[in-house]
Order: sequence, then structure tokens, then C-alpha cells
Amino acid sequence: MKGDKEIRHRPHWFEQFLEGWSVFWQNPLGKIGVTLLGIFALMAFSSFIPPLVNPMYHPMTGVDPEIYSSVGPSARHWLGTDFMGRDIFSQLLAGARIAFMVGVSAAFMSIFLGTAFGMIAGYMGGFVDTLLMRLADVIMVLPTLLVVLILASLFGQLNIWTIVLIIALFRWPGVSRVIRSQALTLKQRPFIEAARVAGASHIRIIFRHIMPNVLPLAFLYMTFRVTAAIIIEAALAFLGFGDPGTVSWGMMLQWVWKTGHMFKALYWLLPPGICISLITLSFYMIGRAMDEVLDPRLRREETAR
Amino acid sequence: MKEETGTSFLSFDGVSKFYLSRGRMLGGSGRQVVALNRLTLDIRKGEIFGLVGESGSGKTTAGRLIVRLEEADRGIISVEGQDVTHLKGKRLKDFRKRVQMIFQDPYQSLNPQLSVLDTVSEPLLIHRVGDRLSRAEMVMNALQSVGLSPPGDFVHRFPHQMSGGQRQRVAIARAMVLRPDFVVADEPTSMLDASISAQIFNILLEMQKSLGITLLFITHSLAAARYLCDRIAVIYRGNLMELGPADDVIQRSRHPYTRALIDALPKFGQCGETERFNTFLKAERESSSTVGCAFFGRCSIANRILCSQEVPPFKTVSPGRRVACFFAEEQGKNLTASKTCHYGI
Amino acid sequence: MALLEVEDLSIGYRTRLGLHRAVEGVSFSLEEGKSLGFVGESGCGKTTVGMSLMGLLPRNGEVLRGRVLFEGRDILSISEEELRLLRWKKISMIFQAAMNALNPVKKVADQISEAILAHSSSVSKAEASRQVEGLFQLVGVPKERMRDYPHQYSGGMKQRAVIAMALACKPRLIIADEPTTALDVIVQAQILEETRLLQEQLGISIIFISHDISIVADVCHDIGIMYAGELVEYGSREEVFDSPAHPYTRALLSSFPTLTGNREMLKPIPGEPPNLVDPPKGCRFRERCQEASHECSLISPAWTELFPRHKVRCIRFERKKGPQ
Repeated sequence: MKGDKEIRHRPHWFEQFLEGWSVFWQNPLGKIGVTLLGIFALMAFSSFIPPLVNPMYHPMTGVDPEIYSSVGPSARHWLGTDFMGRDIFSQLLAGARIAFMVGVSAAFMSIFLGTAFGMIAGYMGGFVDTLLMRLADVIMVLPTLLVVLILASLFGQLNIWTIVLIIALFRWPGVSRVIRSQALTLKQRPFIEAARVAGASHIRIIFRHIMPNVLPLAFLYMTFRVTAAIIIEAALAFLGFGDPGTVSWGMMLQWVWKTGHMFKALYWLLPPGICISLITLSFYMIGRAMDEVLDPRLRREETAR
Repeated sequence: MKEETGTSFLSFDGVSKFYLSRGRMLGGSGRQVVALNRLTLDIRKGEIFGLVGESGSGKTTAGRLIVRLEEADRGIISVEGQDVTHLKGKRLKDFRKRVQMIFQDPYQSLNPQLSVLDTVSEPLLIHRVGDRLSRAEMVMNALQSVGLSPPGDFVHRFPHQMSGGQRQRVAIARAMVLRPDFVVADEPTSMLDASISAQIFNILLEMQKSLGITLLFITHSLAAARYLCDRIAVIYRGNLMELGPADDVIQRSRHPYTRALIDALPKFGQCGETERFNTFLKAERESSSTVGCAFFGRCSIANRILCSQEVPPFKTVSPGRRVACFFAEEQGKNLTASKTCHYGI
Repeated sequence: MALLEVEDLSIGYRTRLGLHRAVEGVSFSLEEGKSLGFVGESGCGKTTVGMSLMGLLPRNGEVLRGRVLFEGRDILSISEEELRLLRWKKISMIFQAAMNALNPVKKVADQISEAILAHSSSVSKAEASRQVEGLFQLVGVPKERMRDYPHQYSGGMKQRAVIAMALACKPRLIIADEPTTALDVIVQAQILEETRLLQEQLGISIIFISHDISIVADVCHDIGIMYAGELVEYGSREEVFDSPAHPYTRALLSSFPTLTGNREMLKPIPGEPPNLVDPPKGCRFRERCQEASHECSLISPAWTELFPRHKVRCIRFERKKGPQ
């Protein structure tokens, strides 16, 4: 009885979070994913440290005055240096920061757009639905990478935030489809009808009744979108359309390739490649584990009736 | 027509509702299904009126038309003489303050993300009633009156922390918190255990008494209708079959369909074959959906020519008692109270 | 010897909050060709009992104690392989809302003949489809509808088809869990009638599970009333209904509206069933019982035999029967 009372005074979302977390943590995929992500987060945070130790460790502008070409790992440069004598390890750390920035912000924006459009289309139906969904179809069939390449060749080098924005603008339709179908089923649910009978306006129904019920799903999709955004950014950078003012893993790969070190300097090629794979994998695994939290049918241990 | 005492609160006047069943993938325009066929009905101020029928009888549609989850295709629904069939905008919102609904499935009719407090106070918020404090007080009172006490224990709960019976009480509190004049209760106990149903029935009775609410109780159970209702109407495939005071309709039923419903109730104790009316044909016979009596296809006392060709008039057989059957007067047998034979719900 | 004998069956579910003791010390026996009904509120463990007899407990469910003897063999200790042979062939089940159990993309008759073929290798295809025809006739679905798909059936017909499927391998025991809950009154009456006839004609034993005491009374010879995981009253239909002994049984019976007699105020059972993760000591019904005394919270009531086929677990009867 005492425990009962305590639970009741916790906010609902917090209690839901705790319950979800306990299911999440039982899933090995979730555990590995979160651990991996934790390591990358640590890398991103510590990316500020090397330049403070010595200016030559600055990932972009720091050059070791004694090194003029790419050399392998040493005590001074843990992962070696690139062709100009910049420290690869500190570049790798900076890349983690960029990956987070690009991934999370692009995913957030696309989820925001997708959720908003999906809810409106699903709830309003009719003409609005048709219009938004046809728009989504058109965008969905456009090859993102190709369009970005064309834009880049038209406007020259793209700023990292422009790239983020473009990824977001191209990646909402998939989310909006899922949210729309969710909104369509929610709309039929009697609690929405109850709100209508009570006199609730459309705005109220969308924000008060539909949104809280689609947000968990939107959040799930966000993890998958992060993966996509990181890969697109890496691909752009590798093809030479990245922001030359930032050090991302894709940029690092591009430098390896452009300076002809592809198969000569594995210490330079492998770290960014592995990092890209692992970070996308970790978001993917987190998404899969979250899927299990959100869909009780996938849970291995059902709670008793 | 005028019937006995009581002023009419809500009336249906020739109300019809059609649905288009979806056609086949290629071609075919879809068939029109009649959910309600020229329903004419008066519900008196302050009474509990029961609408009894099976699924697909149109009983739920009738309720949904009143609260305007759907709109009638033909006919007029009026409340205290005012036509409310096609209200729009501000006037619809004002109307909704007076007319509320309790839904069938309490597992579906509460938003899983909202606390009891948020759910019950929502109608107050929408209609800008009172301030934060007085709203909270009204919610507490509403919870108390549906038997969720002490209300402080429930206000911060979420639907998944409550049993079905408790959820349905919250739904009733939500419908009652605005002190409406009229409430539609759409099979409020069909998803609940039989033992919990009685609690809900008694709450509805008490509400109706203390707040003077007029109640439309939609149900498939004659026994529940008898317990709660002053008058009941039996509806079959969108057509009214029988109408009158609850006890009268059940114990002196005149329509073969009402009798089929009585026959169908589970019985226990010593029940002889004599207790049965046997008005329901096991094998459905060929019938048209547009001409003749709606029950013709299943009726064992039907006249093959008359009933298949002509719609029986909804005639008055005694004051306040109407039956849509050509042979209503010939049906003498009554349901007798038996010490040994019990009927379930 | 009885067809089915259940002794001291206890089942728990592992949940995040602890062990949920869904069924506690349930014992009963079922003779060949008889029917037994379990009545109780949702969460009283009646469905769990049914599931355990089929070996179909959810993964977090666990039999804590007890034996289930079917034809003299303990089916709780046999292998999954043997259990699968037993299922459908000897014991079959009609679930709640079973009509959703039909495969929507296969013809109904084919689904049933598949079930027959899967369980008896000696039957030829032609023989199987002849059997299906017989089954359809038995459950009252017209022959010409055999080649239809499930969506072309009405709810009642689907339920009949499911019953036909349950009968397909001529089982000795059928467990029917709320088989008529989703159906209309008239269809429900027909299905119940059908069930009763089948049971008489084929001599199949039936365990019927429902929250509605009147449905069980309509069909079953014997009735067990369950509350919070325990059997509280058990006896023949006549005994239990004509002279209900346990306060819970009486409360259940008086919470029903009726068609005849005076319109009296119904007396609902107050409160909610207890939490089974931490069940109360003593009698589990005492918190909702109008007749509870102080002793009820101390002693867990034992069975008292009132008549040869009627027993009850309530302390008031223990005292009456006890040494004077």
C-alpha cells in the first residue's frame, strides 16, 4: 500500500519512463546500443580537450611542426597524423561531436515536420490529407543524395547547417506516413469521440489527445532517422560536398582518399570508417530495443492480467 | 401524438441514417445500408428511456445522432422543440454542454495518457467553467458521486492503474461534470463483468434521481433495460418494433421479435418448454430489405403474403403502448413470474 | 475414474512487481460426458486454469504446485511433444473471441480438414472432407457455405465454425472460455443450445468458463465459483443455485437484474478484488464480505461438505459443522 502511494505522486511520464527503461535494459540490443552511444558521447564531450593540451592537437588548424606527411601511431599521436601532420585522434573526437550534431538535429527536425504533417493529415482527412500525402510521396521518391549533390554543385560548398536542413526536409515523409496511420486509428478511438462530444476543438484534440499518443512512436523513428542523417552526411562529405570548415568522419575519409592514402594508411582509413558503422549501429540497436518497449506484443515477458 | 403524462424532452421525427457499404475493388458503387429507418420517438423529460436491440439494430446510431458524432440523413431531431439536427459552430458547442455520452468500452474511451483529473476536468476547461480551484472541486464532487471515494486517491491515477469498473465510473463522471440535461449511455456495461454491472446501473439511477437528468440507455439486455428504464423501445434493423412502459413491454410483450429476445436469455432453474414463445425461425427465410416487415425473415408467426408485402404500422394497442405487428392483438400469452425459472441478463 | 482430475493446482505469473498468484490450490474432477462451469470476475484465475489444462500458459506463467491428471496421466509433467499430440486430439479449446482465430485467407472447410489431417495420418483427404461435412451439419452451418472464406461468415457462423474445428479430432474434453461473449443474445442462445446438444450427443466433457453465472447455469452440470484465484464453492448446478452457500455466490446471484418478479434494488458487490501479488491473509473475500467477522482475517477457510455434491469454503459453515 505504501509503495502504491509513492508511485502515484510521481509524474506520469516519469513512471512510464522508468517502466519503459526496465524493459529496455533487459534487452541485450538496448544494452549494447546504449553503451556504445555512451562511448561516442564521451568522445564528443572530450573533443574539446586535445586543443587545450597543445594547440597542435586542434583537429582543423593544429599542425605538428615536425611532421610533413602522414605517419603512423606514436606516443605523441595516438592514431598518427594526416598528410599535413594533423592529429587523427583529435579529429576522430571532433567527428563524434559533428556526427551527434548532424544526426540529432536533422532527425529532430524531420521528426518534428513528419509528426506535425502526419497528425494533421491523419486527423483532418479529406483534401488536406490528400495534399500533404501527395507532397510526401513526391519528396519520398526524390533521391536525397542526388538532389543534395545538384544543390551543392549549384551553390558551391554547403554549410553544415544547410546540409542538416536539407536532410530534414527530405526525410520527413516516411515519418509522416507512419504518424498519419497512427493518427487515423487514434481518430476512431472512443476517447477522441468522447472529447468531441465534450465539445473539444480540432486543435485541442490534435494536441491534447493525439499528440501524446503518437510521440513515443515519433521518438522511436527519431533513432532510425539519426542513423540515416549520419550516413547521408558522411556520404556527402566523402564525395567532396561536405562543409570544408568542419571535421566530420566523412571529411576524414575524403581526405584519405583524395591524398591517395586509401590503402597505405589503414591507421587513418579505419578509425572514421569503424566509427560511422558503430554509431549508426548503436542508434539502430537502441531503436530496435525501444520498439520492444513500445510494442508490448514483442516483449518477452508479459505482465499478468 | 400525445401519450399519457410527461413533456417530451427529445424527439426523433422520421429520422433516417444510411451508410454506404464499400463496393468491390473494381467497379460496383457500394450498397446502401439502412441503419435507421424513419425513427419516430419521444423521450420525456426526466425519464430513463431504454433502446433495446442487437448489434446492427441501429440503436447505437440513434445515440450517436443525438450527440452529433454523426448527422442524420433525413428527418428532424429536436430538443425541447428546438431543431438540433444540423447545428453548427457556436450553437453546436453550446448544445454539447447540455448533451453528453457514456461510451461502451471504458478501456477505449479514456485517453491512456491523461490522468483522471485531466480527463474529468476537460469538459469544464472546454466550456470555460469556473477557475482552476473550482474546477478541481467540481471534479472531486463528480468522482465522489460516482463512488470513487475518497476522490483524492483517484485524481492522479491513469487509466491503466484502474479496473474496468473504475474506468467506467470515471467516464460517467466526465459525462456528468457539466451537469448536462441529457445523457446517452451506450451499453455502458457490456464490457464489464456481470457483477460490476450492478454498480454502474445503480450509479446511473442515482444520477438520474439527484440531477434530474434525462437518460437514453442503449442496451442489448432486456433485463438491464427493465431494471433501469421507465419506458423501453425494441429496435430491429433500424425499425422500431415495440414501445411502452418497461415492465409492460417485457411481461406483456406483443411483438414476436421482443419475444425472441426473451426466449434467447439464458435461463436456469426448472424451465419447461411452456415458458418459451418460439417466435424465432431457426432458418432465415427469403425476404426483401425494402418491402414488408423487417422481421419477416425470422418471424414464425408471419403471414407469408401480408407480412412480406406490407410494412406493419406502428399502432397503439393500449395507451402508451405501440407495436409494429399486424398480429399484435392476437398475442395473448404473457411472461409469468416463475419461482423455479430464472432469467439471466 | 474421472476423465480429468485436478489436485491442488497453483499457478503464478512472474511480473515486475513480484509473483502474481493467479490460481491457488484449485482441485476438482470432471467425469466423462459431464460439463463443469467456472464463474468469477475477471482476474479470478478462471482463464488461467483453462490455459494450464491445455499447457498453454503464457511464458511468464508457472505451475507452482499440483497435479493435472487427464486419463490418469499427469499432463503437467509430460513433454511438449506429447502435449502437442494431446491438444486438439484429446483436449481442444474454444477461446474468447475465437472467431478471430480463423485464418482469413483460407476457406473455412479447408482449415478444418487441415486440422483433421494434421492429427491423424491414417485419414485420407476425401475422408477428411467428408468428416468436415458432418461437422458442419453438426454445428448447424449450411453445407453450401463450406467453401466460403471467414469474412463471408457472420459472427455467429464463425463461432460455429470454430466449434466445428474444436470437434474436428473428436476430443474427449473441450475447454470453452467465454465462447459467446462477443455475440448477440439470440446467437448466443443458439450457440449455447448447440453446445448442450453436442455434449449430450457426443458425450464430450466440457469445461465452460464465463463471468456470467446465468450462461454457465444454462449449460453445465456442475459449477465452481472462483474468487481471487481460489475456488470458494463447488457443486451441482441445482445445489449451487437453489441454495447458494458462500456469501460471494449469493452476492453474485443478487447482483443480477431479472425479467420477472418485483423490481428490487440490486445489491452490487462493493469494492474490488484483492491484489494477488500480495494476497490478504485469511479469507480472500473478507474485505468485500457483508458477513465477515474478525476470525475471517486469521484463518483461511477449509472446505466444508454441505451435501454429497455441494461444498463451500467459508468459516461460517466450518463452525456449524464442527464439533459441538
